[in-house]
Amino acid sequence: MNDPWLMLIVSCSVFVIGLLGVIFRKNLLIVLMSIELMLNAVNLSFVTFSKIHHVLDGQISVLFVMTVAAAESAVGLGLVISLFRTLKTADSDQIQMLRD
Amino acid sequence: MNLLLILLFPLIGFIINGCLAISSTRNGKKISSQQSGVVATMGMVLSFLTAIYYYFKFAGFSGETKLIEQNVFSWIKLGALHVDFALRLDPLSLTFVLIITGVGSLIHLYSIGYMSEDPTPAKYFSYLNLFCFMMLNLVLGSSMPHLFLGWEGVGLTSYLLIGYWSQEPKNILAGQKAFVMNRIGDLGFLIAMFIAYKYVGSLDLSDIQKSTMSPHVMTVFCGLVFFACTGKSAQIPLFTWLPDAMAGPTPVSALIHAATMVTSGIYLLNRISPLLLQTPDVLFVISIVGVTTAFISAVIACAQKDIKKILAYSTISQLGFMFLACGVGAFDAGVFHVMTHAFFKALMFLGAGSVIHALKQEQNIFKMGGLSKKLPITTITFVMGWAAILGIPPFSGFFSKDEIIIESLYSPNGNQILFVMALLSALLTAFYMTRLLVLVFFSPSRMDTETESHVHESPWSMIVPLMILAVLSLIGGFWHHSEGNHENSQTIMIASVIVALLSAGFSFYRYRKFDKEELTNQFVEQGLGIDNFYNRFFGRGTTRIAQNFSRWIEEGLIQNGIKFCSWAVELSGNVLKSFQVGSVQAYLMMMVICGFALMVWVLQEVLHEVMIYGK
Repeated sequence: MNDPWLMLIVSCSVFVIGLLGVIFRKNLLIVLMSIELMLNAVNLSFVTFSKIHHVLDGQISVLFVMTVAAAESAVGLGLVISLFRTLKTADSDQIQMLRD
Repeated sequence: MNLLLILLFPLIGFIINGCLAISSTRNGKKISSQQSGVVATMGMVLSFLTAIYYYFKFAGFSGETKLIEQNVFSWIKLGALHVDFALRLDPLSLTFVLIITGVGSLIHLYSIGYMSEDPTPAKYFSYLNLFCFMMLNLVLGSSMPHLFLGWEGVGLTSYLLIGYWSQEPKNILAGQKAFVMNRIGDLGFLIAMFIAYKYVGSLDLSDIQKSTMSPHVMTVFCGLVFFACTGKSAQIPLFTWLPDAMAGPTPVSALIHAATMVTSGIYLLNRISPLLLQTPDVLFVISIVGVTTAFISAVIACAQKDIKKILAYSTISQLGFMFLACGVGAFDAGVFHVMTHAFFKALMFLGAGSVIHALKQEQNIFKMGGLSKKLPITTITFVMGWAAILGIPPFSGFFSKDEIIIESLYSPNGNQILFVMALLSALLTAFYMTRLLVLVFFSPSRMDTETESHVHESPWSMIVPLMILAVLSLIGGFWHHSEGNHENSQTIMIASVIVALLSAGFSFYRYRKFDKEELTNQFVEQGLGIDNFYNRFFGRGTTRIAQNFSRWIEEGLIQNGIKFCSWAVELSGNVLKSFQVGSVQAYLMMMVICGFALMVWVLQEVLHEVMIYGK
């Protein structure tokens, strides 16, 4: 557990999993969850670097990120619900109003 | 008093009439020829009064000081080139200003009656006023570009007025022909201007007059200026536009194509006369061209049937006399003839206009005849014009024309050939003018009864200018103090009068009882085939070049180039369109890919080092 490289690899894998989820999953709720996954992957790398360099800045950043993530997921969920109400769907393929 | 006033009054008339013309086409309200004609005539009369003021002011000056200059504003400032928009009045330009504004006022007045049935008189009068404004610019300008402004301006208004009745395609073509012929001459003017700038360094006319160019440059300069004059003043080789220009309304022919615009060539030659006197070669060419033009056009005039065409060829012939005068170095005699010619030729054109007006646009002299009883005032005034152009003393033409004939023999540059040609031209002039006079006014009537019953004397606005011009034709000769003290000059004068009278007598005898159409030589009537010659040798080739340009350059290069541009834009648009799918996730994917690429690009050095140390 003390190998920082392992931590970084885990963090990187989780980030990529989240990114792929954001890009390829069609359900908007899953997309939101994937975003959370990416944020947490970043948090993990913050903590790892904080441990490598023996500086506490990274851990403070993590607290900030968690706060913002909470707010963000609240807003995101609100948006998804309002989208679902107007369009009766949460499928991202059905939502293509940007093209028109 | 301000010199600018002379220019300003016609300009104001032009602006007012132009606005009237535009508003009448917008709201369809008809403007009578009285309304717009009075405005236009007022502009000219006020301008004439200003010129009269300067005439009397000059009378108080002595010899050399007769010069008024006025700088209006700085016009062109480009490096070493500095041209002021300045007006300069000296005796020469004053003579022209008086002719333009004086005869111009009368012709404006005449037009009120002549154009009374025209649908758009405001347009007509605005053009006429613009013409006078431009012509005054031409004679008052102090520099070559200013002169050129007027030179082109009168060309433009001449074009507009020749094609004034634009419903007839023939009239438009005549206007185009005049414009193109003038442009050919203008090329000479432009190049002369470039030469003046290069070798004199100034475009001011007084600087050019005083300049000391090398003889060769001066010859080229004067030759080019003379070429420009042949265009504007209808001399060989560019004279064929003037007979066609008769397509315009008759007052226009009187003002532009007899009294003023066509004499601007004489004005220009007079302006550069100090240079011309140093280039005997150019002077020789001018005298030859002048006398040949005078003779040839007099020959052509003898075979014409259209009353206005006869007067047009007569104008070319008289202009030839003026060029002859300039060519033999008698510049004063040339200007003097410009003045008397302006009086009597304007008179004859207006008289012809009065006849045409009375006969409902009939112009063939073989369908007229016996009009002296129906149009008494027109007849009397026309006879006075006839006497003036024949040179019967004491009419004005006698003084000016005979002075030219005498100078063609006795001046240092004159010789017997010029003299004989000039005398022959005078003889022919007497012949065709008498032919015109007799056939129109005195021979038995050849009109059909329908037309004959409608013939009436013209309204007062047309008669008054005729009478004033007739009086001027009578007394115009006394304004000039001719030296005329060559030993044999009196003999020559008497001889030329006798020649003219004999020729007139023969013509009178031949045509007094004519009651059918004369069989004229077609070749002569068509202007000696010169138009055909130009068509064949210049017209066709130019047309072919133009057609090729239209095919290869216009359609081939430009059109395809534009097509290629639109094709390239369309293609790139199509490619870029495929990225705009509208799905957020697709955009995100592109963002990630690009972000990754960017990262690799930014970090490539770092990665490189990592790989090296990794080993």
